[in-house]
Order: sequence, then C-alpha cells, then structure tokens
Amino acid sequence: MKTGKEDFLMTVGSRMSVALVLAVGFLMRVTPVVAHHSAAAAYDETKRVEAQGTVTKVLVRNPHSWVFLESGDDKGQKIEWLIEMGGVTSMAWAKDALPIGTAVKVVGHPSRAQGSHGMTAATFAKADGTPVGPRGGRGEYTPR
Amino acid sequence: MRSTISRLSPQRCFGIVACAVLLMAMNGHALPALKAQSAPTAATVPDLSGVWDGTRRAHPTNSSTVPWARTVPEGTILPDGTPADKNYVSNFPVLNERALAFQKIFDEPLSPKYDCQPSTPPALEFDPFNMEIVQWPDRVLLRYEKDDQLRTVWLDGRQSTPHDFGIQGFSVGHYESSALLVETTQYVFDITGFDDYNGIPSSQQKKVTERYWRDGDQLKATITVEDPMFLRKPTSYTMRWLPALKGYKLKAFDCDAEAARLSVQFIPPKYK
Repeated sequence: MKTGKEDFLMTVGSRMSVALVLAVGFLMRVTPVVAHHSAAAAYDETKRVEAQGTVTKVLVRNPHSWVFLESGDDKGQKIEWLIEMGGVTSMAWAKDALPIGTAVKVVGHPSRAQGSHGMTAATFAKADGTPVGPRGGRGEYTPR
Repeated sequence: MRSTISRLSPQRCFGIVACAVLLMAMNGHALPALKAQSAPTAATVPDLSGVWDGTRRAHPTNSSTVPWARTVPEGTILPDGTPADKNYVSNFPVLNERALAFQKIFDEPLSPKYDCQPSTPPALEFDPFNMEIVQWPDRVLLRYEKDDQLRTVWLDGRQSTPHDFGIQGFSVGHYESSALLVETTQYVFDITGFDDYNGIPSSQQKKVTERYWRDGDQLKATITVEDPMFLRKPTSYTMRWLPALKGYKLKAFDCDAEAARLSVQFIPPKYK
C-alpha cells in the first residue's frame, strides 16, 4: 500500500513532458520570458519542459542561482536536473522555500545541448499544485 | 662655518634643484602634466550623487536588441524612458569586416562572463542593477552593484599613461553645462567588450564617452562608443536611472565562478 506521497514521488520521478510553447500559452502569459542572448544559446525559449522530483541542492548565488532536482526517467534511471534561476536578490526566498528533500514540480524552458537536463525561467509547485515562492517561484532571469 | 654657508648659497641651491628636476624629467619621473579644470562654479556642477536604480524598473532589460536596436516600433519605451517616435534611427553598430569575422567565429562559452570577468562600458552601465555616484572635487566615483566594479573619473587634468591599460580603462572627465562628461580609453581587448548579446568584441582602441545629467529626479546618460578596430562609425544610446529606494545601499555581487559557468554545459558545442 503506497502512501500518497510515495505515489506522488514515483509518478513524479518518472514523468517528463516537452510541449511547444503554443500548447502552454497560458503558462507563457504568467511567466513572461526575458529575451537574453546567453539564455537563448543554452535554452530553447520556444519550448517548455516539466520535471518532478526532489530538491537535492540549492545555490543562491550571483550571477545566477541554481536548484538541483533529482528525478527519474521512464526506465527508472536517475536524472539530475539543473534549474537556472535569477541572482541572489530575486532568489533569497529559495533558501527557506526549497529545503533539501522537498518534492516539487517544475516547468521551464529546456536546455539545448543533446542529452542535457537543464531548465531556466522555471516555476515551482508542490505536489498538490500549490505554487512555491513568489509568482510561482519564478526568479528573475537576471542578464549578466 | 663660513664654508658651509657658502656651499648652501642661493646660487648653489638653485643649481641643485635645477639639476634634480632635469634628472627626474630624464628618468620619466616628472610630475604628470596636470591641467586642472578651472574651478567649476556651483551652477555648472550638477548633483549626481546618490544611489541610482538601473533595474528593469528604470529601463527595458538588456537583450540582443536593447539598447542596440536595428528597428524600434513607434511607441516602444526607449532606455531613457521616452517612447520611440516614427523617425527612430537605428543605433545598432555598423561593424567592419574584422568585427563580422569575429562575430562569425564567436563561440558563446568563450564569453568571459562565464568566468566572472566583469562587464565593461558600454554594457556595464546598462546591466539591470543599481549604481552609486560619489562626487569629490578631484574625481567622481562610479560604483556598480554589478560585478562589484568601481570606476574612477579623474577631474584634475591628469593624462593616462601606457601603464593605465585595464579592464575598465582610464577615465577622465569634467563638468560642462550642468553635465558630467567622461572619456574613457586604455581598455584591453575583450571578445565581448561591446555587447555580449551579439558577440561583438572591443579593442584597446575603444573609446567610451559618457555624458551624465539630471532630468528632474532622474539621472540620464548618453553613452557613445568609438572603436575603429571594429566599428565603422561611433554609435550611442541614452538611458536613465531612477532614484533608488530611500536608504538602499549597494550589495556585494560576489560573482560565484561555479554558478557562472554551470550553464555552459547546456550550450550545443560549436567546435570540437
């Protein structure tokens, strides 16, 4: 008998989907993307990707902060997502709101390099869909 | 006693001083040719001091089209806070063949910012952070929250020397018509020294001219860049800052090398 949390973590750990921006136009409205050459070089701002898992590390730093998320693929292989967020000023909330071990769902722009698991301009939510952090946890993507 | 007085006679003292000055000049130790600005009157020295908000509250965020734009639709809010009219003239730099060649081979991971190398003019001013101006009689200090940078603008007439090359160059300035005029040279080559969004480099011949003035409670500046190594002609943009929140003090940036380079792994490699 699995608990709700276990169910959540198993499903969350294995689900991942990529959708075109038109399919999630609504998300784009609430998470406006800042055009940025460097971001465009590393991330595809026309796509969205979703990952679910547990927070393993949070770096609130300049020029950009990072959230590390342990997830899994359909074959049960572990995946480590690196989620690039804004600098210290806009991400101070993350230290308290994203403690290690927190189960979250993250939606953001996927990284471009083949086989990589990166994301930026992401929103965070708890298992029940409650947004985490200000404006769904989307830190400002501070240009540098 | 008589002989000692004789050795220090005015004629001998003059001779010693003259020889010393001549020797110093020959050895390059002559005092810099200081041409101090004639004492500016209070009316010509604008009060630019304070902490200024240069975040996206003050102007559009920098990008591949801001502040250097090829076209701007009428009504678009420009970096100086005013709407563009239908006669907007592109300020996107006209690159020479050398610059175009650099742009073509440019590889994003080369960008020095991924190793925390600080931003420089004309990008530093526009980065969306706060900055502080301190006005002293002989210099103006421009302190940037971004990358913890401090620029000193000398007002005492000193000239740069070949020893003054540096990442932020060497700045001199003066007040004129209630504005601060700054001229900066002696930059070192920087592969993204003009604009990292478009991969445009800058050379040691880059010259940045800035004019700062007050417009009501706002601070405005026009930043002009010349670089004959890469640009066919000078180009400029005008921007604004808003007064920072009362009591706001600049925060340390403390760029973290690990955090700065992490995203490079997500860029598809251009070269093997």
